[in-house]
Amino acid sequence: MKARQALGPAVRYILVILVCLWTLTPVAWMISISFKPPTEWYSPNIIPERPILDNYITLFNSTIPIGGTYFMTSITEVITRPLFNSLIIASLSTVFALFIGFLAAYGVSRYRAGGTFALFFTLLTRMLPGATFVAPLMVYYSTLGFIDTYPGLVMLYTAVTLTYAIWILKGFIDEIPPEWEEAAILEGATPWTVVSRVTLPLVRGGMLASALFIFILNWTEFLFALVISVTQVRTLPVQISLYASAVGRMYGPQAALGLVATIPMVILGYAIQRYLVTGFTFGRVR
Amino acid sequence: MAKLEVRNLRKVFGELEAVKDASFEVSEKETLCLLGPSGCGKTTTLRMIAGLETPTSGEVYIDGVLVNDVPPQKRGIGLVFQDFAVFTHMNVFDNIAFGLQIRNVPKGKIEAKVDEIARLLDLQNVLFKRAKGLSLSEIQRVAIGRSLAVDPKVLLLDEPLSNVDARTRDRMRAELKEIQADIGITTVYVTHDQLEAMTLADRIAVMNEGLIDHLGTPNEIYEQPKTLFVARFIGSPSMNFIECHLTEKDGKPTLEADGFSIDASGLSESVKRQPIGSELTLGVRPEDSWLETEKRSAEAMRAEVQLIELLGSKSIYHLKIGRSPLLVKTYTAAGVEVGGTVWVALDKNKLHIFDKKTGGAMI
Repeated sequence: MKARQALGPAVRYILVILVCLWTLTPVAWMISISFKPPTEWYSPNIIPERPILDNYITLFNSTIPIGGTYFMTSITEVITRPLFNSLIIASLSTVFALFIGFLAAYGVSRYRAGGTFALFFTLLTRMLPGATFVAPLMVYYSTLGFIDTYPGLVMLYTAVTLTYAIWILKGFIDEIPPEWEEAAILEGATPWTVVSRVTLPLVRGGMLASALFIFILNWTEFLFALVISVTQVRTLPVQISLYASAVGRMYGPQAALGLVATIPMVILGYAIQRYLVTGFTFGRVR
Repeated sequence: MAKLEVRNLRKVFGELEAVKDASFEVSEKETLCLLGPSGCGKTTTLRMIAGLETPTSGEVYIDGVLVNDVPPQKRGIGLVFQDFAVFTHMNVFDNIAFGLQIRNVPKGKIEAKVDEIARLLDLQNVLFKRAKGLSLSEIQRVAIGRSLAVDPKVLLLDEPLSNVDARTRDRMRAELKEIQADIGITTVYVTHDQLEAMTLADRIAVMNEGLIDHLGTPNEIYEQPKTLFVARFIGSPSMNFIECHLTEKDGKPTLEADGFSIDASGLSESVKRQPIGSELTLGVRPEDSWLETEKRSAEAMRAEVQLIELLGSKSIYHLKIGRSPLLVKTYTAAGVEVGGTVWVALDKNKLHIFDKKTGGAMI
């Protein structure tokens, strides 16, 4: 009996460990390779024999040799600009998507704005691979002069993530009984006060959850960034792809930058995980 | 303090006529209960008074002023919702102060007002607790407090006790009665619970299918229900109804059903004026009849005992006279057994007779 009781948790732990291995092995590999000299990039050892920091240093100064090897590379930019670009573009797009998404979700949830089709229609934009849009997008953007501009990428990111914001937030707003808002109205609140004092604080968990989700999407987006950016608005994912030399990919710097790019996400996720777990903590009193 | 008047209110939702015609007045400091089963239009009526629904037709007056076009927040109305709608993301103080803060009332005044209300509703100890962890009774009081903070002219309560378990409800009903006595405000109280209505109301409007069937004091409604519906709805256990017809026996008008007969010559003129053979419904409350183990009264009828619910000093006897079931609530009598026979006599002064077709009361 005891053995059987212990079996449940044991199985659970084994599964958790398997999942962790599955997801963390690539990360471990990335960390490992970011400290390896070029001679070890293809080695199966996880622990570098001759650990170096050159892969990181080269992110800020591409002229130095990596582990003693000079690479024939076209990379001249340091990562500060792409890092800054990614932060600005991902943040602004997230804020816009949340703002517009909240208003849209509110309308859909409370007034059935647009009927059922409009809500479904927003999802349609995600049902085609992004590559489908690239050609027409290029035409529009070059006509409008949006290529390689912040507004160009921000608008695009806002548009493609908006549907997530709407769907996630609608779920949260649906949970708030309309009576709560009516109660606020009877107390003298204007529609805007109702939203700012009652609705918004109650969907804070949903806002943060969708913010993190959308920010990650924006942060990791590659295809559109590759197409739209030239030099001015190059983002981190594009920058990572650029680490190549005449003789092949520069896995070391790529891994190093990959790790650098992950850090802000981890910090962000950690900071708001409390709200993610307790996302749906409000609700009816009884 | 104010007077509320509602004239010919009507509300249609698409195909559904939720409220057909509702008119009533609530005088200063009076409590009117809108009582009826779910779907009878009572909540819709309340929401029209509050301004949360626009009437299809009809008028709402507060203090003699037509408020149909006045937005809800300017009507001077406090509404306590069915699920209380207390904001769980705020503490009790902020909940009560909500309306005042929105109106930019100076801080000192807000504190004074909240303090006054907290004292009235016995909420001082939880004033800075988050609303989330409060007990139901506290939440109810917070909801009432929030409505009262902005000094409404009329307080509306929408089934505030309907989702509460029975024991808590008993306590909260008593609390509500006390609060009501303390604040003395014109109140409309919506409920489907006749006991709540009886306890809390000065007058009751019994609603049925969008119409007010009977408007009167709790006593009037209990003693002289105007319709079959009201008679059935008020009282627990509910009134007995016996389908009978008017005949003549030995030259006297008589109400007859299978195994059942009652002399109608003592009853009101309106009954006796009915043509012979009229179909009538006789109503008698379980409390308004008595049992005899041997036939003593001339009019006592023979009945079969089917079930006895012992309540203590009183019991509810489930009887059958002919084919008609009859409940009698009376002092527990020795010698009455399930399966046995008793004699039952009805208190003739307390009989109710309804027109079977229209449901209207004749006496």
